[in-house]
Amino acid sequence: MGQLDNKVAIVTGAGQGIGKACAEALAAEGAIVVVSDINGDAAAAVSSSLGSGSSFVADASSEADVEALVKHAVDTHGKLDIAVANAGIAHAAPLVAQSLADFRKVTAINLDGVFLVTRFAGPAIAEGGGGTIVNISSITAQAALPLTGSYAAAKAAVVSLTQTAAIELRDAGVRVNAVCPGFIDTQLVQDRKADFEALGLPMPFDDLIAAKQGRYGTAEEVGKLVVFLAGPRSTFSSGTAYVLDGGARASVL
Amino acid sequence: MAELEGKRALITGAATGLGRAIAELFVERGASVYLTDINEEGVAETAKELGAAGSSRCDVASASDQEAQFAAAQEAFDGGLNLVVNNAGIEIASILVEQSEEDFDRMMDINIKGVWLGMKYATPHLIANGGGTIVNMSSVAGVGGAPLLGSYCASKAAVIQLTRVAAFELRAHNIRINAVCPAFIDTAMVDRLVAPVEALTGLPFEDLTAMKQGRRGTPAEVAEMTAFLASDDASWTTGSHYVLDNALTAGLL
Repeated sequence: MGQLDNKVAIVTGAGQGIGKACAEALAAEGAIVVVSDINGDAAAAVSSSLGSGSSFVADASSEADVEALVKHAVDTHGKLDIAVANAGIAHAAPLVAQSLADFRKVTAINLDGVFLVTRFAGPAIAEGGGGTIVNISSITAQAALPLTGSYAAAKAAVVSLTQTAAIELRDAGVRVNAVCPGFIDTQLVQDRKADFEALGLPMPFDDLIAAKQGRYGTAEEVGKLVVFLAGPRSTFSSGTAYVLDGGARASVL
Repeated sequence: MAELEGKRALITGAATGLGRAIAELFVERGASVYLTDINEEGVAETAKELGAAGSSRCDVASASDQEAQFAAAQEAFDGGLNLVVNNAGIEIASILVEQSEEDFDRMMDINIKGVWLGMKYATPHLIANGGGTIVNMSSVAGVGGAPLLGSYCASKAAVIQLTRVAAFELRAHNIRINAVCPAFIDTAMVDRLVAPVEALTGLPFEDLTAMKQGRRGTPAEVAEMTAFLASDDASWTTGSHYVLDNALTAGLL
């Protein structure tokens, strides 16, 4: 018996990384998961490994796609209980050296994408009697990291959206929370190590990570927190951004 | 499901309220518990009802009591203490500038020094046992102000800071430390606030809390959050304070 038996969940950006781990963690607790990604092959592969649910190709920044994703979940699985707005990208560049188009590419997915999940999944979840939304933010929502200005701004905005949605949807029985992971051992982070090191760090990037947060977190650890917030054990949690960072934010050094 | 199987927990302030609810859930999830409280008879009764490994009187502001409670718990468990909940705390409602020095000092002794001593005297045992987890009881009053609770707010903010620093310093010893920040929970402590807050603000307390946080939380909900942070599911969470307030602090009004 799982914590999420018979619950229907959608996860955006679930073809890899944290999204994939969230889909797996939700399914491990009994949820029927709609694995959504812009990469249809990746989504289908994750979905088939789960053995239940379905996959759906969606561009998280597309209003029509996210609306269709929510409709697919309800039409195919009868209802929607849980939505995890995870899809995200990063564009590593100093603020003063990037185009507006590049800036907007990031905010279109990382911010608009979360709004769209709230916009369409919120009413669908309320319709079924209530449930939960979990938005994947980041510790960059709370403190800056050079080269990630657009990413961090979007992630900070996600916390704000989480707060407003939590209050607006409370009476409808929809709880909305955010998760703020530190550095997780994902491709998104590994791909940018060289960029950070080129800034002139006092030590290699991995050593700095070890000093700040002990070690890299794992996508599975994010999945466990998402399950807690999505499920029946966090019924008084809403509107909060939960930090998961091995202690990185605990010290100013 | 016995997710806290193998955990041996000492819980302070466990005779009634949140501490008792935490003890109940820990036992339900498979943990062994040792309970302490300043109310020796009350905690003995609770310990008997829950099938605890033992109980004793502890004034958390007393270093010798703190040292003794951990020694007693280790003896009752036959070693292996690996989980501590520093829950004991008091509130004394008063206009801040009208509070007596004696009351202010008592608040700081129990709510701040009590948590510090709990971490100080637990740590050698946890290290000897290969690591462990500490959960400190803070409050939303630790992240925001509240009339009549000035010294309480200060003490609960201090708990967050102690949590951060100890978590960072003890991470290498495999000790995780987090704080829980509940909003207004259905406890005798909150009941005692109703009349003085209404007298001061002229606002109906229950209507005000209903507007801000929907309803009062339950001790069981605080226990669930505590159990999550205590469990291996939270293996990368340390130095954080987890707010539990149904969107109270998310809102401006």
